[in-house]
Amino acid sequence: MRVVVAGAGLAGLTAATELVAAGADVTVLEARDRVGGRTHGIEVAAGRWVDAGAAYLGDRHTALHEQLDRLGLRTTPTTMVGDSRFLLGAPDGATRHGRFPPLNAVALGELFDLLGDLTATVRPDAPWLTPDAAHLDTRTAADWAAEHLRHPDARLFFPLFLGEMMAADPAAVSILHVAFYLRSGGGIRYLNAFEGGAQQDRIDGGAHQLCEKLAANLRVRLNAPVQAVHQDDTGVTVHSGLGELRADAIVVALPPLLADRLDLPGLTHRRAGASTARGCTVKVHLVYPRPLWRDHGLSGWSVNAGGPLLSTVDDSPTADAGVLTGFVTGAEAHRFAALTAAERHAEVLAQAKRIFPRLPEPIDCHVTDWTNEPYSRGCYAALFGPGDWRRLGPHLTTPHGRVHWAGTETSTEFFGLMEGAIRSGHRAATEITQEWSPR
Amino acid sequence: MSIPDIFRRVLETEEIDGDSDFFALGGDSLLATRVLSAVARHYAVELTFDDFVLAPTPDALAKQIASVVQ
Repeated sequence: MRVVVAGAGLAGLTAATELVAAGADVTVLEARDRVGGRTHGIEVAAGRWVDAGAAYLGDRHTALHEQLDRLGLRTTPTTMVGDSRFLLGAPDGATRHGRFPPLNAVALGELFDLLGDLTATVRPDAPWLTPDAAHLDTRTAADWAAEHLRHPDARLFFPLFLGEMMAADPAAVSILHVAFYLRSGGGIRYLNAFEGGAQQDRIDGGAHQLCEKLAANLRVRLNAPVQAVHQDDTGVTVHSGLGELRADAIVVALPPLLADRLDLPGLTHRRAGASTARGCTVKVHLVYPRPLWRDHGLSGWSVNAGGPLLSTVDDSPTADAGVLTGFVTGAEAHRFAALTAAERHAEVLAQAKRIFPRLPEPIDCHVTDWTNEPYSRGCYAALFGPGDWRRLGPHLTTPHGRVHWAGTETSTEFFGLMEGAIRSGHRAATEITQEWSPR
Repeated sequence: MSIPDIFRRVLETEEIDGDSDFFALGGDSLLATRVLSAVARHYAVELTFDDFVLAPTPDALAKQIASVVQ
């Protein structure tokens, strides 16, 4: 059996690996000049890597842990010790113990109660069948906030929370998608937490190694964007930058906004709609000779009402390489991404000075704009806007003849995370071996 | 709702008595806000996050509430 996989991200490479193990002849076609998709490493100092893309994992990410074990990769805890910084109104900001912002705790508790109640009503395996789906799917998260959030601190915090959790501008996502996303990731608390949650660990040396190690045992063709997939009674013809390839089946492991642009004659259900939006993330890495903030009793964690860096976290790969990762998310990511490189740099340095006044200028600054990446079109994941779950949801995993779908957005478990990508790759590989293996 | 019951609901465990420490049982800052919103709802007392950090058990929190109410 011959199979083509479109997309050398975690989903596509997982599917390809499993299909090869099942005896298939597999070719992976990748548009970029590298593998990894939304995982990508930056070497900030000799042998010291940080994650420009997907980075964190928790104990419930069992498929990811299995893959790490198999590939001999290790994890390292994200443990943060010390005080956090908050620029949420007070001119000099506030320094506080732990990660809790200096906002009205009762108001935030009410916000999380409301989100918790909403999350509990979602059908995690089929969000479009959620009771009241028709209503929840038509309203944006911004509509919901305007209706339900009274306290100014809750209104201030909600967009920051959505930005951090799912890289979403509240005006761009349906409240059904928010509720689904939080549920799919293990609930508000699990998805938000570092220790005991979805950010408990990083992959030692960088998440990109996963894809590189998988690709090393596969036939991968780079610089080969798939443009069209035509099929007939005996197979598929895949048209890419490298010409035509014939196969029994194809796994399309692309984000929905890219899958939707393929020429797929006869496709009855679109992969994305007019309201499907890009996850809005720009990731910034500030590099220091070592984690200097720890000398001042600070954890490196901060939350900021003004951009560009809405939050920062200590992602230092080792004690001899200090890295603060800044997240520019939601609507702010669009504004920031439109600036020139010099303007971005100046804004980031000025804000770093306000958040951490005692730190010297960083020795280096890396900016990774996922929002405008032509071969990702957003990160962490596609954002389902009003109407998307009822329109796209029922068909996310339904094969189109010999075309099978993978990618984290096709997994209702851990949607948007590396774990979801891997689970989707396993599912697509199983579908193909069951359906198209010679009998 | 009693304070131990609030702890039970938020921490999703039955193993709560008067001197159970919320943060030692896996409570984090996000869950703490949900205890404080429940306290506000049931006892009409708005405590701060710092109040709770200083009184992280049901018994201590009950005293804290009583001192505000008086």
